[in-house]
Amino acid sequence: MITFGNAILYTSLVIGSVALLGLLLKDRKNNDLLTKLVSPAILIVAGLLTFAYLLLTYYFITGDFTYEYVWQYSSRDLPLIYKISGTWAGQPGTYLLWVWVIFLSAAWLAQTTKHATPLTRRTQIITLAIGLYFIVLTLIQTPFKSIYEVADVPLGFVPVDGSGLNALLINFWMIVHPPFMFIGYATMTIPFAAGIVYLLTKEDGWEELARQWARFTWLILGMGIAVGGVWAYVVLGWGGFWAWDPVETASFIPWLTLTGFMHAAALHRKNKTTFSTAAPMLSAVTFILIIYAAIVVRSGLFNSVHAFGETSTGTLLISSILITGVVSLVLGMRRYLEEPDKVEEDKGFWNKTNIFYVTLLLFVILAFISFWGITYPVFIQLTQGFKVNVASDTKNFFNVWSYPFAILLMLALGFCLNYKESEKEKQKKTLFIVAALSIITMFLRTETFYVLDHSSPFWVREPSIYKLLGSISVISIFPSMIYATAAIYQYLSGYLKLGNARVRIKGIGIAIVHIAVILTLFGAIISSNFTYTNQRINIPLEAKGVLLDVGDGYGIKVVDYSTRSLTETSYSGTTIAEVLANPSLFEKDVTISGKVTNFNSSGSHGTLVELDDNSGSIWVVFEGNVPVKLNSGLTVSGRIMSGFEKPVLIVNGADEFDASGKYQVQSVQLEVYKNNRKIGSGVAEYLQGKGGSGTFPMIDPSITLFGGDVYVIFQGVGGGAVPITLKIVPAVNFAWLGIILFAVGIILIMAVKSKSSGG
Amino acid sequence: MKTKKLLSILVLILIISMAYGTYNISLSDFKLSDKNNSYLGGLTWSRSLDASLLKAQQENKPVAVYFWAIWCQYCAKFQSETLGNPQVKEILEKDYVLVAMDLDIDRDVARKYGVSYPPYVLFLDGNDKVLERVPGAVDANYFLPIVTRVRDEVRGK
Repeated sequence: MITFGNAILYTSLVIGSVALLGLLLKDRKNNDLLTKLVSPAILIVAGLLTFAYLLLTYYFITGDFTYEYVWQYSSRDLPLIYKISGTWAGQPGTYLLWVWVIFLSAAWLAQTTKHATPLTRRTQIITLAIGLYFIVLTLIQTPFKSIYEVADVPLGFVPVDGSGLNALLINFWMIVHPPFMFIGYATMTIPFAAGIVYLLTKEDGWEELARQWARFTWLILGMGIAVGGVWAYVVLGWGGFWAWDPVETASFIPWLTLTGFMHAAALHRKNKTTFSTAAPMLSAVTFILIIYAAIVVRSGLFNSVHAFGETSTGTLLISSILITGVVSLVLGMRRYLEEPDKVEEDKGFWNKTNIFYVTLLLFVILAFISFWGITYPVFIQLTQGFKVNVASDTKNFFNVWSYPFAILLMLALGFCLNYKESEKEKQKKTLFIVAALSIITMFLRTETFYVLDHSSPFWVREPSIYKLLGSISVISIFPSMIYATAAIYQYLSGYLKLGNARVRIKGIGIAIVHIAVILTLFGAIISSNFTYTNQRINIPLEAKGVLLDVGDGYGIKVVDYSTRSLTETSYSGTTIAEVLANPSLFEKDVTISGKVTNFNSSGSHGTLVELDDNSGSIWVVFEGNVPVKLNSGLTVSGRIMSGFEKPVLIVNGADEFDASGKYQVQSVQLEVYKNNRKIGSGVAEYLQGKGGSGTFPMIDPSITLFGGDVYVIFQGVGGGAVPITLKIVPAVNFAWLGIILFAVGIILIMAVKSKSSGG
Repeated sequence: MKTKKLLSILVLILIISMAYGTYNISLSDFKLSDKNNSYLGGLTWSRSLDASLLKAQQENKPVAVYFWAIWCQYCAKFQSETLGNPQVKEILEKDYVLVAMDLDIDRDVARKYGVSYPPYVLFLDGNDKVLERVPGAVDANYFLPIVTRVRDEVRGK
């Protein structure tokens, strides 16, 4: 049985294939047989997929649990917004989102270019091929699979309720994180396709086609990663926004190579022979790493807190990586070998192309470190059956290896931004001085400020290479950071003087993005090195309202403690208020439901039960002795006796339901003191529901940049005590500010239309 | 062109040696588990609960079942500070049968005993009776008395 949604997908597949065929005929045989149909066909597919996504959303909103996917990721008692966000909670829905956005960008390509040039035609061919491949993936793991295909249930059976959304996902940041990521993944398709066409045919103009899409991907993917970081900070209680979890790392890797691509493209744009292999290769690598990230998220192989379970499309994704990987590598190599070795005079090492190339290599190295760190433990596990860690503590691996390259990157930033051939010698001198300072400061001794934490119990047993790199003082980041900041300032003031508004705005945008790098890095380093943590605080429930000393001058007062249901239970049937308003209407037959708030059993004569559905309350009468529990839910049908002062319902039939709600929230209201002065207050929560539990720490953010967030994690009452972890996280505002500036800067850059682009 | 080629080759060498080095360091220094055993907190743990229960019965020792996961941030801390505490370590090594359950693999065992998150230590006697539960990354001061008490309880029987 083909469901309506799947029928739409099959239709899209057929119509999309027609478009692809039309383009191929035109391109290979110069046959115009189907050419007229191509653009309309692409638009129709984009429309159909839009409709498919809306249809899925409709199923979620109305709670059509005859679809397995809806049943698995939603339930009746969820608030509307979480019913909508349920559409992208699992792999089938994210595939649909992915393929939808691919076809939206294909539609854009069709509308803006009309496939007039071989370049646009070929780019569209590759885009469509990828799009169709993803329709197939979506069909294999379709969100439109009905439960009758999966479970052994009679046709026509409708589940009463869905199984509900994972508790950790019930959070604002998780509403926006997945769509950001998957839209970002999808919008990388055109830069990839254009890059491949360029590698194949050397057609000019690919960079113009790819530019805005690459920038958009960079923005959306970057924001997706940032939102994931915010989620980790406010929900997971990591006390930091970055923990090198395999999944967040996996999404960071393509973002790094994409950043490399944008730097390569900036020079390639001005001189077509510069980075003519590196630029398209970086865009290809980014696309491949995006598919890799998708595999990491959903495979269940990677040992991550994002355990989403194994999937049936894993092998298809892996084969698509292999295909795109081999194709890009072969094309890249061919292009590289074809390139005539320019015999022009050797300008030596110090020229703009070379130092930009160093920057590109730094991005590649940083991407590789992250890639390797999440990959080889899985490789060892699959090949040898051992589980290994990358370091004594996972984050050590990434921090130790990335740190030296982060310094080099800062140096490169400072040097490249204002590089002028005429001032080369002077600029070189400054660079050497800063580099020397960086090396000298590496040896400074402090109490705790090292790449690896010397007070950690792991420290003494670290292997020698980790000890060596781990002893580098983090003070060594500052010379290069100050150098880079000064360079950005100089760059910015240069652009501010310019008369041409277009150029000026673009310059400001570029300056802002680079400031953002420094702020984020600074926030990350300071907050991760100087967080105060006290994780063994147990406050007895009896101590409510009392200020307790928890050590180091800190005090905590539990002001209040309560438990509630996240969502209001919805009651079926006629509301009690309606019945009370006009009791005579319901004298024959009525069904109401509500929560038992009171009952009175008078032996064999009957049981009186008071039901409340938030609209009002009514007494219902059961014949005989009926066991009822307070706070349980009851649905009763019967007739109203309206003769009394207050109407009562005589029960014919009753059914019990669970009125407690699926999601229970424990919350503690807290005040935190330092030396008897209040430094923070708020509510820390602990949510229990489907798929485990979630902590929602109390975060009293500091307003100043350097001040510390008061951060309290509450892990649910146990043994009559409130277990609490207190953290003071300093300078995290630098990182948030940096993230905002990343977005502002790139939007400014995108807003300026380049002369040659025309679109 | 020459300079770039040289730089690329240099980076390639750097990357390969870093990859090779870290791969080997992990195999020698950071191995967490193989087919039969897990190596956590400087202790060797069996991966078979059934065999360990049998062994506990024969030797009249309690079983300490440690539930862990590779992605668990608190487990690393618990292993180094609590399990790595010399006194705790000595008692566990001498007087207990040690079992480690990987929450990514041994989900059914976790479900059976109602363990929902790592780190979590469960103390059993040889007859599979739960003697004590220690959820969370508790510190050595809290853990040591429990380890001592459970041991003495089983010995006293």
